[in-house]
Amino acid sequence: MGYRLTKEACDGVLQKLSLNHTLFAPKRFTGGGPFSGTDLIRYGKIASADEIVLDAKSAHSFKEALLPITETLFYFTEEQMKEPDPPAQGVLVFLRSCDLHAVRRLDEIYLRNGAEDYYYKRIREKTRFALIGCPTAFDTCFCVDMVANRSDNYDFSIEQDENANYLIDCRAADWAALFEAAASQTLAVEPSFVAATPTRVGIPALLDAGVAAAAMWDQYDGRCIKCGRCNFSCPTCTCYTMQDLFYTDNGKAGERRRVWASCMVDGFTDVAGGGCYRPKNGQRMRFKTLHKVFDYKQRFGYQMCVGCGRCDDVCPEYISFARIVNRLEEALREVKSDAAE
Amino acid sequence: MDINTKEVIKNAFRVTKARGLTASRIRVPGGHLKAEYLEIIHQIAREYGNGTVHLTARQGFEVPGIRFEDMPLVKELLQPVIAGMGINQTEPGQGYPAAGTRNITACIGNRVCPYACYDTTAFAQRLEKAVFPNNLHFKIALTGCPNDCTKVRMHDFGIIGMTLPQFEPERCVTCRACIHNCRKKSVGALSEINYRPARNEEKCIGCGECIVSCPMAAWTRSREKYYRLTLFGRTGRRNPRLGVDFIKWIDEDSIIKIILNTYDYVEKYIDLNAPGGKEHIGYIVDRTGFAEYQKWALRDVRLPAIAEVTQPVYWGGLKY
Amino acid sequence: MPRNEYQPFLATVKEVIRHTDIEYTFRLAYEGPVKPGQFFEVSIPKFGEAPISVSGIEPGLIDLTIRRVGRVTNELFEHYADRKLFLRGPYGNGFNVDDYRGRELVVIAGGTGVSPVRGLVEHFANHPEEVRGLTLVAGFKSPQDILFYNDFSRWATKINLILTVDAGEGPAHCQVGLVTEHIPQLKIQDASNAAAIVVGPPVMMRFAIQGLLAAGFAEHNIWISQERKMCCGIGKCGHCRINDVYVCLNGPVFNYTQGKTLVD
Repeated sequence: MGYRLTKEACDGVLQKLSLNHTLFAPKRFTGGGPFSGTDLIRYGKIASADEIVLDAKSAHSFKEALLPITETLFYFTEEQMKEPDPPAQGVLVFLRSCDLHAVRRLDEIYLRNGAEDYYYKRIREKTRFALIGCPTAFDTCFCVDMVANRSDNYDFSIEQDENANYLIDCRAADWAALFEAAASQTLAVEPSFVAATPTRVGIPALLDAGVAAAAMWDQYDGRCIKCGRCNFSCPTCTCYTMQDLFYTDNGKAGERRRVWASCMVDGFTDVAGGGCYRPKNGQRMRFKTLHKVFDYKQRFGYQMCVGCGRCDDVCPEYISFARIVNRLEEALREVKSDAAE
Repeated sequence: MDINTKEVIKNAFRVTKARGLTASRIRVPGGHLKAEYLEIIHQIAREYGNGTVHLTARQGFEVPGIRFEDMPLVKELLQPVIAGMGINQTEPGQGYPAAGTRNITACIGNRVCPYACYDTTAFAQRLEKAVFPNNLHFKIALTGCPNDCTKVRMHDFGIIGMTLPQFEPERCVTCRACIHNCRKKSVGALSEINYRPARNEEKCIGCGECIVSCPMAAWTRSREKYYRLTLFGRTGRRNPRLGVDFIKWIDEDSIIKIILNTYDYVEKYIDLNAPGGKEHIGYIVDRTGFAEYQKWALRDVRLPAIAEVTQPVYWGGLKY
Repeated sequence: MPRNEYQPFLATVKEVIRHTDIEYTFRLAYEGPVKPGQFFEVSIPKFGEAPISVSGIEPGLIDLTIRRVGRVTNELFEHYADRKLFLRGPYGNGFNVDDYRGRELVVIAGGTGVSPVRGLVEHFANHPEEVRGLTLVAGFKSPQDILFYNDFSRWATKINLILTVDAGEGPAHCQVGLVTEHIPQLKIQDASNAAAIVVGPPVMMRFAIQGLLAAGFAEHNIWISQERKMCCGIGKCGHCRINDVYVCLNGPVFNYTQGKTLVD
């Protein structure tokens, strides 16, 4: 059902929702950017609708709501191993269509690829989603080509009309009454979806793993600085590393936690005893790229990348992932012609 | 021809080696100006000078080849440049009221440079407002970060931008970029404890390398802007030396107050018989001792709690 | 809620066999299904976890042969030799005994690569009637690195054993040279139907497979076991992924027809 709400009415609803949910949305961290005098848009806890940044893309995605950057798995004392308590509150995540598609990718790994992940599941079960309407694409978006531009599996959608009132399409039966009571008007609301993007990508239909042998990857040995920003900003990257530690010198208490990991950063493939399976930056770029647009699909039947374009936004070396994908066609021809010779 | 050279020099015109010809010196606080002023400087050079312009060592302009007689016309043309840059004047249309306190230089700062910790241009302009006009020979320079591209340690007052890194451990993913970059590009103030960086506060120079290199925004800049203030570097004939640290983690207001206090100190102790009434501050401090200078400099200054005042202060350098 | 897969269980250390100063086999009490080639995460609170291949299986017992190379294994050697150990697992697919039954079998193993195949070799050494001859080519860097020497002595009479060290003077039955040098001399009657298993450092594996193919082995008759970094063992952490497989879920044992397509 669709509703129009004033800002105040919308805040009233959010306040009620926040009794049981942490409201997690892209917001502005003034002065939080890496450079002096710059802000950072990233996810954080909000209390009112106008804190949600609607006119810019967040540098990091929503995924830290479901996958905390640092998550303790066990607390250790000398004798005991204790799980942390599950989060008391659920989370209501405000996100765009591309990111909502990314949730399926996170679920795929954490709920279906091998055993269910206990820690993910206990957060996921209490997580709900508010779709941020997306009237126009940003420069680096390519969600349409990745078929992630439209969604309907949200609890409600939210965007502003020309008078800065909020338009809501509520699909969650249990929340309809809440919006109904606060609405100044009931009407049909269809959230805005991007229909065309300035950046386009074309994944070769006959892509195969042989493209790994193409020369194009070597270029990134020199260009890439293996900082991992592309992975950390990506809503579909799910890797982590375990860390065990003790808090104090006496070694009695400690914890086991997991933290996000990046296949671009040193150490990702290091094995005990000193081996490293992808030492070169170009190899890492190839590994990451093919996962996003090939390997994942081979395993699960649909593409991993959702075309949010954050990796292009955050790369300090101006390496465009979209451009890499668009080079695959030629790389494939090169590999095939090499093989023919 | 009858020219009062003292007046001319004070008015920011030079007595040059060519008899009858002067050069107009144009202040550009922070070395940053609207491009439209270049057209005026172009006009002065074309109509009254010899068609050339010199970029001065202190980021100003000097238009050579001007006849002394044309100074009033040049000053008239300069008026929008002087006013537009917000230079304090005693009488509009009469050019610069002083030349002793030199143009305040600065690197490009945080309007452009990713490393800069503050807006060097704005701070230079604020300082210019506070200290100019003054006939005393003061040289002030600002640089955005400890890279010190401005080479502020060769000036009486060197202002080096700093930020106090803020760390949110939960956002850290142990990529080690901060530790690696601090060691390779800065002072190696970070070590790893329990998979997270630990900052050696004594060693840290506040360059912000950890913040710039952090892919997770686990490191962020402090809301407050901090500086390192260095004192009495100088070039010149007798005892060229680099400026030394006076206060680390000082704030903007305190810097301005210390510089203004220094004017009072110099007024009090300058050698009245110095040639041209000009004596570098450093030589005065050599005479009075640093303790006396410090007493004057820190009068009514309220430093931030974090500020570290170096004591005692020594200079080295070459002595001829 | 699902079971917490990250929660380890305690296993009692029954015996510690010290092969070298840095290589021990921990014999642990374990009840439950487990196959050679599978692995456990050995889990030491406050120190971490390490994936370790099952090197031996007996009723109620498993062996884990561990090389002391890092934080976790150091702590293990220092303080856990006579205590209980936390484990998670078993993980991975392991070797399928049926794949090799009734065939000539060649096992080529380098260094700690002997661990994952030890259970399989032990099985066929005790049941020689199940295969048409078993050859084990086991290579180590130096005489000091030799693992399972007692087993080799025992097996020497039951199987065709080639024990070799890269350099130095080995003990009895031991030759000097790389494992790959022995492949052309293998006495295989029907190479096109013989099976081979290759486990060890990446370079050794590459050359050993080249040698086997040259000797007439068919790609689909070669199996490899891959070692990769693994944090979770359950398809989550992503470190062990290669192409569209997770070594912890789909491996570590791969038929070479699949293994050859995997590019790190």
